[in-house]
Amino acid sequence: MKNKSLLFMLIALLSVGLFLAACSSGDDSEPNDDAGSDDEEATSGDPVEGGDIVAAMYSAPDHQFNPIFNTSSYDSNILDLTHESLIKQDENLGFIPSLAKDWEFNEDNSELTYFLNEGVKWHDGEEFTADDVVFTFTALADPGYVAAGGIRTNFVDTLVGYDDYVNEKTDEFTGVEKIDDYTVKFIFEVPNVKALADTSFNIIPEHVFADVNMADMPSHSASIDGGEVIGTGPFQLSQYQEGEQYVLTRHDDYWQGKPNLDSVTWRVIDEAVMAGMLENEEIHLLNRPGGVPAADVPSIEQMSHITMIEAQDLGYQYMAFKFNHGPNNSLTDPTTWIPNEKVQDAELRQAILYALKRQDYVTGLLHGSGEVLTAPFPSASWANNTEAIGEFDYSPDKAEEILDAAGYEDVDGDGFRENPDGEKFTLNLDYPTGNEVREKVAPIIKENLEAVGISVNLNSPRDASAHFELIEENDTDIDLYLAGWSLASTDPDPSAIFYSTAGLNYPRYTDERFDALLDEAVDPELAFDQDYRKDKYTEWGQYFTEVLPIIPLFSDNINYAYNNKLQGITFKSHQILDDAHKWTWSE
Amino acid sequence: MYKYIARRLLQFIPMLFIVTIVVFLLAYLAPGDAISGEPLDPNITPEMLEERREALGLNDPVYVQYANWLSRAVVGDFGQSYHYVGRSVSELISSRILNTIYLSTFALFVTIVVALPIGIYAARKPYSLVDYGASTFAFLGLATPNFFAALLGIYVFSFGLGWFPSQGSVSSVGLEGIALFTDKIRHLILPGLTLGLASTAIYMRYMRTEMLEVMGSDFIRTAKAKGLGPRPVLYKHTLRNALIPIITLLGFEFGTLLSGAVITEQVFNYPGIGTLFLTAIQNRDYNVIMAINLILAVAILVGNLLADIFYAVVDPRIRYD
Amino acid sequence: MVVVVNKEKELQTEKSPSPLKLAMRRFLKNKLAVLGVFILVFMVLVAVFADVIATHDPTASNLLKVEAKADSENILGTDGSGRDNFSRLIHGSRVSLTIGFFAMFFTLVIGGTLGSIAGFYGGKVDGLIMRATDLMLIFPFLLIVLTIVAILDRTSIGIFITVIAITSWPNICRILRATFLSIREKEYILSARSIGASDFRMIRKHFLPNAVGPIIVNATIMMATMIIIESGLSFIGFGIPQPTPTWGNMLTEARSIRVLNNNPEAWIPPGLAVLFTVLAINFIGDGLRDAFDTKSR
Repeated sequence: MKNKSLLFMLIALLSVGLFLAACSSGDDSEPNDDAGSDDEEATSGDPVEGGDIVAAMYSAPDHQFNPIFNTSSYDSNILDLTHESLIKQDENLGFIPSLAKDWEFNEDNSELTYFLNEGVKWHDGEEFTADDVVFTFTALADPGYVAAGGIRTNFVDTLVGYDDYVNEKTDEFTGVEKIDDYTVKFIFEVPNVKALADTSFNIIPEHVFADVNMADMPSHSASIDGGEVIGTGPFQLSQYQEGEQYVLTRHDDYWQGKPNLDSVTWRVIDEAVMAGMLENEEIHLLNRPGGVPAADVPSIEQMSHITMIEAQDLGYQYMAFKFNHGPNNSLTDPTTWIPNEKVQDAELRQAILYALKRQDYVTGLLHGSGEVLTAPFPSASWANNTEAIGEFDYSPDKAEEILDAAGYEDVDGDGFRENPDGEKFTLNLDYPTGNEVREKVAPIIKENLEAVGISVNLNSPRDASAHFELIEENDTDIDLYLAGWSLASTDPDPSAIFYSTAGLNYPRYTDERFDALLDEAVDPELAFDQDYRKDKYTEWGQYFTEVLPIIPLFSDNINYAYNNKLQGITFKSHQILDDAHKWTWSE
Repeated sequence: MYKYIARRLLQFIPMLFIVTIVVFLLAYLAPGDAISGEPLDPNITPEMLEERREALGLNDPVYVQYANWLSRAVVGDFGQSYHYVGRSVSELISSRILNTIYLSTFALFVTIVVALPIGIYAARKPYSLVDYGASTFAFLGLATPNFFAALLGIYVFSFGLGWFPSQGSVSSVGLEGIALFTDKIRHLILPGLTLGLASTAIYMRYMRTEMLEVMGSDFIRTAKAKGLGPRPVLYKHTLRNALIPIITLLGFEFGTLLSGAVITEQVFNYPGIGTLFLTAIQNRDYNVIMAINLILAVAILVGNLLADIFYAVVDPRIRYD
Repeated sequence: MVVVVNKEKELQTEKSPSPLKLAMRRFLKNKLAVLGVFILVFMVLVAVFADVIATHDPTASNLLKVEAKADSENILGTDGSGRDNFSRLIHGSRVSLTIGFFAMFFTLVIGGTLGSIAGFYGGKVDGLIMRATDLMLIFPFLLIVLTIVAILDRTSIGIFITVIAITSWPNICRILRATFLSIREKEYILSARSIGASDFRMIRKHFLPNAVGPIIVNATIMMATMIIIESGLSFIGFGIPQPTPTWGNMLTEARSIRVLNNNPEAWIPPGLAVLFTVLAINFIGDGLRDAFDTKSR
């Protein structure tokens, strides 16, 4: 009698298997059919009036649509369409006019004057003026700004009078000054080579927020609610379904002309289903952060109705050496640090550099969609100068040679090298979750290093907030760790993580020559000349490859994708949402 | 009985108190806080973050923070989110809790409607085709990881056949009335079935086992010997007794479903409490973690209480005094 | 009364070998159960001889051959880091079976003991244990896992099993308590109690035999669940970290529709491995229940 049930089970299993097989083979054939007609214009027709497009992101925004309080790059997807700053950047990261039509520096570069466009209308019809600019930057300097949740004070703390204003010694913020309705002047404490970058901040409307208490501003409906968030951009956030969909409708009075599209809707989707939805035309545009994951690139390349653009990015992943341990909160005070003897040898670090198959990480894990870095400037940055600095290819022989010469030899015959004193030598490697490729790299680094005889203890990954707190604080068990960093699109200055007393110098690396070069690169007298800065960063980069405080692993490219029916995108490697009023939809 | 209920309700209070202390400690014991994380934005300086930390009171001793939290929580104020600037915890939760309740209710509904009748039928007609079908389904359902079923569901019914949407809880903003309702149901089907799959399988199997167990017991044989017809035997005796352990389990199944929704919500990008909780844990958004825990705790406690009360109703031999 | 447990057992088997033999005979008649034993034995053998069977080092990556289709070298293709899927499948059986068994075992020990005590004694003890159970059920599994993992640094298999066991015991505890409670009200218990039988004797003679059904059914469900929990935790990133090969880690690769679509050889085998292992365990559990349960035949 039980035979029957056995038979039943087997039949059920078989049919499930067959069903699956049938499904997968069915879908397999599709892309092949398409591959023949690889004509990008194949599915696009003539532009039509209006049109509604759906763009996708992988994670929900934080719902803070007030630029002065927003910190999430997902919210930026929306804010980049609804708000504008005085200036924006072109494809080479140079600054070009936006709300300001022109600007000029004074003699000693300590004052920057902007001339604003006239006739710019906020979403609610009010006129945009210099008052809004003054209001925005004064809000950033407000004494209650940080307590209310703001963290963007670095956009104002170089301005004159910031300290007095934020400490309530005066009621007047003198750093930004209205000359007339369409002229506004920024006055810096000392000449600031990053003046343009520091003043390119999204402007918020004074007439909406003027009477709002700073403490109430982040929870004010004009910071959060659809239809209430007011900017000058080509689209307005009109309504949304929390965590799922964000509908941006056309701003008819947009100062650069009425946008062609009726609406842009952002949908939050899972990365796993992105390719399918792009293929089904459920989504039409895929932007950063994330873009098309490198592994999905081949399958999306085969979709004839999708255009994909690969762009170099300013972010990169690295493996750092923890040079010094120190008490908690000691990052800015090198005198309290205690050296981590295990990683002090420059030869060891050189050998590790040669032992890593970094090109394979790019080829295998990024599917070729990225580059190996030498100095920490990805080639998307103007500071990159790989030709002058040179490349360091994988060479296990060289690694072993260096290690042998430096005295790291396998004395006890266990397959791993001991340190020059003949003691057991194991490096602890920690890594965070949150970046799929980086998580895959960690075990491979261990493999690579063990291949040249360096024993590695790979700790299990932690989530980012735990990982970075342990590194920032005094966890003396960590010798190596993985992390990522991104250059600001506005300025490549790397001192935020490399300067000896920088708050993000987690390796606790200290080096006078390093600091001197970084200082010279932003010297107020000389550094307004970009060629000068590039030379300085090259010099710094060359020195960097000698001392190797970190090993840059790779920089992954960003892959934007959009449906061919969506046309008129102004493509810049760091931004594709500029000039969205020119976008058109065709049937 | 009422005394018992009152006593249980009074017991809730210290339990909730213990829960909040332990969860608070757990959250704080884990390294990292709401401000720490991968420093990726070059425009955010660490000095700024330290100021934020100070402003949020994250540098205070744990007991001070707990006391602050507790003094607000007892008057129903769960505070502001540490991660989502400008948003209160109650606002965050209320925007999502309905979705999770829909999802869990749907899954529970599927479980009860599918598992119990089939389990009972299978026990009454053992080794019938339905019995074999049910146990095949139960075996397969138990052997399939939740997220795997979810991916298969998306793959087959969403991409392959295009029947149901794979993402989210509504397809477009601004739907109303019947259209909104059917749209919501369509979005519920795949995640709801996925979430209910394992519990359906478990309860089907459990129902059958219990029924068989009770049917083989002495008092049923006695009842049969007394000449009681098959119907009264089934409904008055067998079912009643077999349901006792099932109800105990179902009592807290709802709470389990609520928290078990994390993975399902994640795959389907379904904006509910589960996904909120996952991001809250990753961001160390203590206020959100605490509030969600309290809600789940109350849901589970109430579920258990109801199960116990029911227990007494179906099995009068069990007395609470 | 002092009783040495093992001795008692021996004595009993010597005196009356027939019940066990009978049960064994009944078990062997159950073809599904026997099939289950065969599958499980096969899996265990695979796990034991994994080093011999595997064609590659399961943790060695080949970045020039990532997500490769099956070929003569990698008969099930490679995963996202270029590791050999077949070898990972074979070695995965070790981890998955170990986790499944020990997590189930420790959960059963903790939950079973507490549940029996609560159900047997009732009253204050019961109340106390039940409150502890309620408390445990309220705690967020994920938060506990995350905290312990973060504090203890390494998610070793041992820690993983411990975490699962100390968070999963309330279920079985409640089930056993319910069973014991209903047995407690039975007349023969009242009479046994009235003639002054010791607690231990009553538990052993009357309660445990009656609870064997639920224990075994739940133990099998649990072992199956444990294997599935492992894969679920891997899926959201709280499981055994890579490069340790587990079936869960392998299934996680199918998170991407691309792999699901293009590399069925990568995820169907571990999926089937989980499926067959869990099925086998459940078959055996069913067979054992039928074999031991003299009443429901």
